[in-house]
Amino acid sequence: MSMEDYDFLFKIVLIGNAGVGKTCLVRRFTQGLFPPGQGATIGVDFMIKTVEINGEKVKLQIWDTAGQERFRSITQSYYRSANALILTYDITCEESFRCLPEWLREIEQYASNKVITVLVGNKIDLADKREVSQQRAAEFSEAQDMYYLETSAKESDNVEKLFLDLACRLISEARQNTLENNVSSPLPGEGKSISYLTCCNFN
Amino acid sequence: LYSGWRCVCGCCGALRPRYKRLVDNIFPEDPEDGLVKTNMEKLTFYALSAPEKLDRIGAYLSERLIRDVSRHRYGYVCIAMEALDQLLMACHCQSINLFVESFLKMVAKLLESEKPNLQILGTNSFVKFANIEEDTPSYHRSYDFFVSRFSEMCHSSHDDLDIRTKIRMSGIKGLQGVVRKTVNDELQANIWDPQHMDKIVPSLLFNLQHVEESESRSPSPLQATEKEKESPTELAERCLRELLGRAAYGNIKNAIKPVLIHLDNHSLWEPKIFATCCFRIIMYSIQPQHSHLVIQQLLGHLDANSKSAATVRAGIVEVLSEAAVIAASGSVGPTVLEVFNTLLRQLRLSIDYALTGSYDCGTGVSTKIIKEHEERMFQEAVIKTIGSFASTLPTYQQSEVMVFIMNKVPLPSTQQSIEAGKAGENRNRLTQIMLLKSLLQVSVGFQCSNMLTALPSVFLDRLLSAALMEDAEIRLFVLEILISFIDRHGNRQKFSTISTISDISVLKLKVDKCSRQDTVFMKKHGQQLYRHIYLICKEESNVQAHYEALYSMLMLISIELANEEVMVDLIRLVLAVQEIAQINEDNLTAYNRCALFALGAAYLNLISQLTTVPTFCQHIHEVIQMRQKEAPYLLPEDVFVERPRLSKSLDRLGPEVFFWQSKISEVLGGSGYNSDRLSTPYVPQLTDEDRLSKRKSIGETISLQVEVESRNSPEREQRAPAEEITYETLKKAIVDSVAVEEQERERRRQVVEKFQKAPFEEIAAHCGARATLLQSKLNQIFEITIRPPPSPSGTITAAYGQPQNHSIPVYEMKFPDLCVY
Repeated sequence: MSMEDYDFLFKIVLIGNAGVGKTCLVRRFTQGLFPPGQGATIGVDFMIKTVEINGEKVKLQIWDTAGQERFRSITQSYYRSANALILTYDITCEESFRCLPEWLREIEQYASNKVITVLVGNKIDLADKREVSQQRAAEFSEAQDMYYLETSAKESDNVEKLFLDLACRLISEARQNTLENNVSSPLPGEGKSISYLTCCNFN
Repeated sequence: LYSGWRCVCGCCGALRPRYKRLVDNIFPEDPEDGLVKTNMEKLTFYALSAPEKLDRIGAYLSERLIRDVSRHRYGYVCIAMEALDQLLMACHCQSINLFVESFLKMVAKLLESEKPNLQILGTNSFVKFANIEEDTPSYHRSYDFFVSRFSEMCHSSHDDLDIRTKIRMSGIKGLQGVVRKTVNDELQANIWDPQHMDKIVPSLLFNLQHVEESESRSPSPLQATEKEKESPTELAERCLRELLGRAAYGNIKNAIKPVLIHLDNHSLWEPKIFATCCFRIIMYSIQPQHSHLVIQQLLGHLDANSKSAATVRAGIVEVLSEAAVIAASGSVGPTVLEVFNTLLRQLRLSIDYALTGSYDCGTGVSTKIIKEHEERMFQEAVIKTIGSFASTLPTYQQSEVMVFIMNKVPLPSTQQSIEAGKAGENRNRLTQIMLLKSLLQVSVGFQCSNMLTALPSVFLDRLLSAALMEDAEIRLFVLEILISFIDRHGNRQKFSTISTISDISVLKLKVDKCSRQDTVFMKKHGQQLYRHIYLICKEESNVQAHYEALYSMLMLISIELANEEVMVDLIRLVLAVQEIAQINEDNLTAYNRCALFALGAAYLNLISQLTTVPTFCQHIHEVIQMRQKEAPYLLPEDVFVERPRLSKSLDRLGPEVFFWQSKISEVLGGSGYNSDRLSTPYVPQLTDEDRLSKRKSIGETISLQVEVESRNSPEREQRAPAEEITYETLKKAIVDSVAVEEQERERRRQVVEKFQKAPFEEIAAHCGARATLLQSKLNQIFEITIRPPPSPSGTITAAYGQPQNHSIPVYEMKFPDLCVY
């Protein structure tokens, strides 16, 4: 058993208007459940999930932010350290889609420029109430150079795929970076491999 | 399963290194039993005697802990943490470094878990660690994750209220730990960086604010007291204080900025209770030499918010005023005038907003509706703040500030600041009032021993010229300001009502002897003051408040600044005021006249008692008694009431109800007062400047119009009697008028020349540009001139009234040109 319980660690931050289902997406992915009647997130929430991709352990630190305007100041401070941002909107809510440019501006302003952004249209289980067509969103994401996916946290459609794809892209990105310069700085007290200990591992 | 594993280990136990065996031994068979104390002692002993093994012990412990966490064996997790804590405490500072990495790794692991208990356990260990003072710096730590996670915990929304509170408290404690650990360590990632501050500060504020809300929602006192023992609010407050107390000069900005942003985002300026509470905490906990930085930031924020709603701005300003008081002497910092400049600018902006009804921003987006009363509240708040700032300053700076404010008051004598047109006039008036109010606010807290340095003549000139404006409200402000300057012993309230009390000792006046500087001051500015008092008395728009202010002012001059000479002058002045009412050249109303009589009676009554000349007292007393009998409407007790009983027969009063100069000079001369001086009546010396300011206050738009109007305005008659009286004034008037006349002639010549020599086209073009404006003016003039009396007679009576002369040629010259059109 290795001293490190992961090979990669990534911070993912979910953002988007209030009530688009950010918390549900995270819950579905980390705990496999869909909490009905989920209240509004206060400030920030934190979840962790370790996944294995091609035999490599990837630890995903998922910061789920509050969509409400009044928590913007605290949530903004979390963008900066994010490796990836999941920008979520509700396909049954035109308003949440129209706010996307605003969110992109925030990302521009606060997030690191290396951040990977994924556009996610949630709630496809409510197809009959759809207000934002897939094509429109796809065009938008293309124009903004974002990866685009539609999900349903309720029916667990594409949720795994969303996070796993993201993890894959983050890995390849990180590899590239480490080749260029050792940028992917590990986390406090975790990322530092204490290499001189490895010889003493049991097993 | 576990025992099986132990068995396997047992087989190879002899082969395993000693530290591993020692570590394994501290874990009991059953996690319920807790840490095996004796074995723990052995481990501690080993660690102390072989500190080089510490890193391996730590690594192994953390490895076990991580495994136990993932296998949900929480009992063992707790034991591992306890062992770790004990080792940390036991070890020497130097060797801790070896150990810390694995320690932090374990804490992080616990914090990552979803179990509240583990999170709390991890935080507690971290706090213990944070309280250890290390003397060797470490290069390998960064607390990013901890800051993020603790901040997140501060916002916990766990369903169970108890657990939520516990998690939040842990979060706050954790943040406190991070701050303690990093704040003094130069090698650490700088905790003061915005990226950390932006998380820490809002999290603390959130708790500070949030529980306040929930507490106010639960009125049950029992619950409240229970909560008080361990409330996140208190903890957050303590943590915030600690954080701010440690902030150095360069870090204040980063620490305050998130506060401002938080208050903005949660729109917490408006009820302002929380905002003031926050800044109270801030001001009390930061190092006092940095408090002006906070003020500066608040001012900057106010500027940045100059287009926000008035309530928001008012909130910021209120907070500023609170903060200023707390910071006391240090609040303003090196840039005193900058502070006041900002506040005055905001005041002006607000006046603009209120008048135009929109935030006149370049972008053109002015969708917000401006509520005038909110702007009003904001203005009041600014004025209050100016006062509280000024009160923290030393005297010499206070007078500097007052000169500064005074210079901002748009006065007629400074043309550039006056604006033409109806709107401009209105605006000017509001600005004048607001600035004078600010000035009053400053002057109230102003304590000077030396009037001469406190009121430089530049300031006094400007202030007094404001007193002559037509606006009654402005006049009152000027009086109030002067009163608060002159009153240095808090006697002012004692004169707030005008009355003829028979015994002055009931007022319990505090009087110091008039100092030499004060005498010099009165020598220099006395005449100016008297003249203005005299002129103000003549204003028809005076109401009770004005007379009360005049009374207070006269009394205060008498007790604060008066020597014998001044006293004599004041008595002359009051007698001259009586004459105004008696002769009534200005067609004052009955009320005005009675008020002046009453004012005189009240003043002379008190002053006679101050001089303690018995014959003087007697004369005054007699007159007052006579008035009580014959004409009670000439006494303050009857005039200054809600519904004064006035008499229309003021012109048919007998001589016994008046105070007589000859009589007074006789009785006072007997007691060594200068009777020669007393017997000459007081005559105000009018200067050009007075006339100028008087006229201009009407709002000069174009010279033609004003000239025409001034011919008809009552002030001409007002001026006339004053000019005819003594030789002195006559001489002065002649000398003055000659000089002015010469100037005038020169100007006239230039105008004529211009129109004679310039090509016709140029004149036509010049006039054409203003044709429409002129046309309307001309129409007005025609209307006036067609009506027979005013124009011609006006020009004749003003034979040497200089300005009129030039208006005619200009008028005549322009007229033919205009006929072309």
